[in-house]
Amino acid sequence: MRPSDALFRVTVTLFAAVIPLSLLVLLLFLLHDAWPAIRFNGVDFLFKNAWNLGNQYGNPVTVHGQQVMPGASFAILFLIVGTLASSLIALLLAVPLGVGAAIFLAEAVPAGLRSYLALLVELLASVPSVVFGLWGYVVLIPLLAHHVYPHLARWLSGVPFLGPPPGSGYGLLTAGIVLALMCVPLIAANLREAIEATPQALREAGLAVGATRFEIVRKIILPRLRLPLIGVSTLALGRALGETMAVLMISGNALNILPGNIYSPISTMASFMVSQLDSALQDPTNMAVYGIAEIGLALLLLSLLVNAVARVLMPRGLSA
Amino acid sequence: MSAIDIRYAPAAFERRQRRNARVSALGWAACALAFALLASALLDILFLVFHRGLSALNLQLFLTPTSGIGGGLLNAIEGSVLLTLGALLLAVPIGVLGGIYVSEYSRDWLAHGVRFVADVLVGVPSIVFGLFGYLTMVTALDWHFSMAAGCITLALMIAPYMLRTTELALRGVPHELREASYALGAGQAATVTHVLLRECASRVLTGILLATAISMGETAPLIYTVNWSNYYWNGHLTHEPVAYLTYVIWSFINEPFASAHALAYAAALMITLFVLALTLLARLSLNRLTVRRSA
Amino acid sequence: MTHRSQPTRLRAPRFALLAAAAGLLAAGSAAAATLTLNETGSSLLYPLFNLWVPAYTKAHPGVQINTASTGSGTGIAQSIEGLVQFGASDAYLSDAQMKKNPEMLNIPVAISSQMINYNLPGLNNVHLKLNGTTVAGMYDGRIRYWDNAALKQLNPGVNLPHHLIVTVHRTDGSGDTFMFSQFLSFTDKTWAQKVGYGTSVNWPAVPGAIGANGNPGMVSALRNAPYSIAYVGVSFKNQTEKDGLGEAMLQNRAGRFVMINEKTVPAAAAAMVPKTPRDERISMIYAPGAESYPIINYEYVMVKRDQPDAQQAAAIKQFLTWAVSPQGGNALGFLKQVNFLPLPASARALTLAQIGQIR
Repeated sequence: MRPSDALFRVTVTLFAAVIPLSLLVLLLFLLHDAWPAIRFNGVDFLFKNAWNLGNQYGNPVTVHGQQVMPGASFAILFLIVGTLASSLIALLLAVPLGVGAAIFLAEAVPAGLRSYLALLVELLASVPSVVFGLWGYVVLIPLLAHHVYPHLARWLSGVPFLGPPPGSGYGLLTAGIVLALMCVPLIAANLREAIEATPQALREAGLAVGATRFEIVRKIILPRLRLPLIGVSTLALGRALGETMAVLMISGNALNILPGNIYSPISTMASFMVSQLDSALQDPTNMAVYGIAEIGLALLLLSLLVNAVARVLMPRGLSA
Repeated sequence: MSAIDIRYAPAAFERRQRRNARVSALGWAACALAFALLASALLDILFLVFHRGLSALNLQLFLTPTSGIGGGLLNAIEGSVLLTLGALLLAVPIGVLGGIYVSEYSRDWLAHGVRFVADVLVGVPSIVFGLFGYLTMVTALDWHFSMAAGCITLALMIAPYMLRTTELALRGVPHELREASYALGAGQAATVTHVLLRECASRVLTGILLATAISMGETAPLIYTVNWSNYYWNGHLTHEPVAYLTYVIWSFINEPFASAHALAYAAALMITLFVLALTLLARLSLNRLTVRRSA
Repeated sequence: MTHRSQPTRLRAPRFALLAAAAGLLAAGSAAAATLTLNETGSSLLYPLFNLWVPAYTKAHPGVQINTASTGSGTGIAQSIEGLVQFGASDAYLSDAQMKKNPEMLNIPVAISSQMINYNLPGLNNVHLKLNGTTVAGMYDGRIRYWDNAALKQLNPGVNLPHHLIVTVHRTDGSGDTFMFSQFLSFTDKTWAQKVGYGTSVNWPAVPGAIGANGNPGMVSALRNAPYSIAYVGVSFKNQTEKDGLGEAMLQNRAGRFVMINEKTVPAAAAAMVPKTPRDERISMIYAPGAESYPIINYEYVMVKRDQPDAQQAAAIKQFLTWAVSPQGGNALGFLKQVNFLPLPASARALTLAQIGQIR
């Protein structure tokens, strides 16, 4: 090997190595900062609804060898449930919308118009999260709270989790809807490509046996989309889990309570970190900040898991 | 097959066809509805931002810094641009060189690992990076809220994304080009820099543009790393907070004054327009590329 | 605006250059001779700071003051850590915090108050009568419906609807939460035992309760959600009135129902100011007196007694002295816009004595 090529190889390798290194550093530092909280909270952290900074105007006490404010406890079951529930609702809405829009764009729109109309869906991905939040609480919440949820809840009364009370508009379903809009472009764009990649021969075979265009879509194209759909949905799930600003502005930020139905206020791990770091900073024992770091660590591990699964399902990687 | 079946077959066939036509129509309608819902959401968001933002727009915004609850947004525009440029300065070498490594030495065990980690990191929530930046740079390293903390946090976030877009760009280059280059006696370094990168430059650039758009639109990782400043950046990399546009949206909408709301909507308009423009530019360059390729 | 346009002119070309050259590095040298002070914290004080700073820096060209709205928690934490020079807070430091950080000064700069607002369709023009016990009952789930007997008893003749109450509280650490939860703690034993007070408290888990961010979040939650109730800093009174929200009359220590006005807030302040200790850490909630409004407080700026250099100490002292002066920051022209009250003379004397300790 020439010296210049060896040097080139070493250089690019070193730069590439920054990436795994940064993940390592991220994990180690969060673990370091979360450690006192992990020791103080134990496994209760994941299984109880008790985020309580304790009496801030009291005097610190020592529990399990850690200094905390009296009455303090840090447990985030309600955040885990809120995060998972809002992301799953987002996925339930985004998958049919994304599949429908992708089919419409790929099969019903003339090729010349296609890329322009596709923009109307795919540009949703580039709207900043805080703008989504702004739109959510200026436009969407009044609309849903006054004109949609009351009727929906009455119509579905008796169905568990879907019936009344219809709530205030701030809550699980609203968060799910906005999250769905935020991750639908990922699904639509990737499926559109997959549809367009369907071999022409297959379509022609369908036509030859007298199938309508929609039958071709339903019987030939859709089954082929299953694998990419699973992969890209997992990826979208990963995105939804970590959305912060928009969720913060529309979810109702429930504390220590599990949602009673889909209209109930919730909080997610990511939005809670933004809204609570300020309060946590006031804890003279610092345990609340360690607790926030523990949420960060838990969220990091959750998103690593989901994205790793997505990666295994989609070895080819993303196209969009 | 019996004679009866044959006798009734045409009618059954017609029934089936009618039913199929109905299912078809319903199916297409559902797909069109899905598209219409999504498109109308985007258009409504844009309408809100334009409607409120345009009326708040004036020349002053581009000429003066924020002053209390009014004034302009030049400090925030400057901050957003500098934070993003700083992040790019750090992330582009990692992303592009790392992407070259992963694409050109793809059989290395390390390349597999880097690719996997990059894919996973792309999905890590931005607030986790923000918290990391706060705990390490802002407090532990005692840099305070600063340009450096913000740039590094953003760079960590976008570098894996650029690595993957660069890798995909390089992989799109036909293998024959590499072989031709080697056949002419060029080494790997020369092949990559003179042949491959030149061939896929616009795709690499597209990835960088999209990463720029991501970095421009972020709020969560910056709230606890750069905070906010009413002034222009004074050149200090540490110890001085910096202004940025998304903060104005997030915070000024929370003020009891109409002038502050106007600034928030103006900022929302600017950042949305800018991010959309970057995305469109990236797409255009991609489209032109595919057209050229297929031609 | 003469001195203000100067830095603009000086820096604009540099900005252009930077943008063009992608030059993070190019800029490092051009340090300004001005002194920069940073403020962060309370979202209730933030609007006032934003009125003060342009006026003050206009008259004092050598100083730049950054303001940021983060929350009282951040204001306290970052002033203690020295990340900012001014930590704005609606709440004073706890004994534990003072013991850990004896160098911190709690400097009152104005007097604020808090409304309890609601959105009851058809009843927003009626000033409902509420007391600490009923409000505590709503927030901890003992009172779930608007036509609860306790509410009816306080408001005879008002046709209260049989509708679930939507309580709204702050999610961010907030001095408003401190004032509100302290009012409930002082008036309701159950609340005092179970929840207590602080800038963020362990809100009882009531189904449907909403957490909102900042005072504007509270106001828009009220506007968006009918049958809701929330506590809102008085700076946002213009906003709540514009949105047509209801404002409650609150029962004070003397048993009378009062609203925020030019009489009730000064009456409460007059009752508490003489009791203010030298370090000025005192709650003014639920003040005695027939006319006193029950939820008022000092708005604090947290400052370190010992500053890194004399120049910075002098600049901080100068700004704070201006801020509490009736001819400066305590002029009604500023305070009226956010519905704050100026410091009464005796409190100002204590404050100036504290400012004098900065070195």
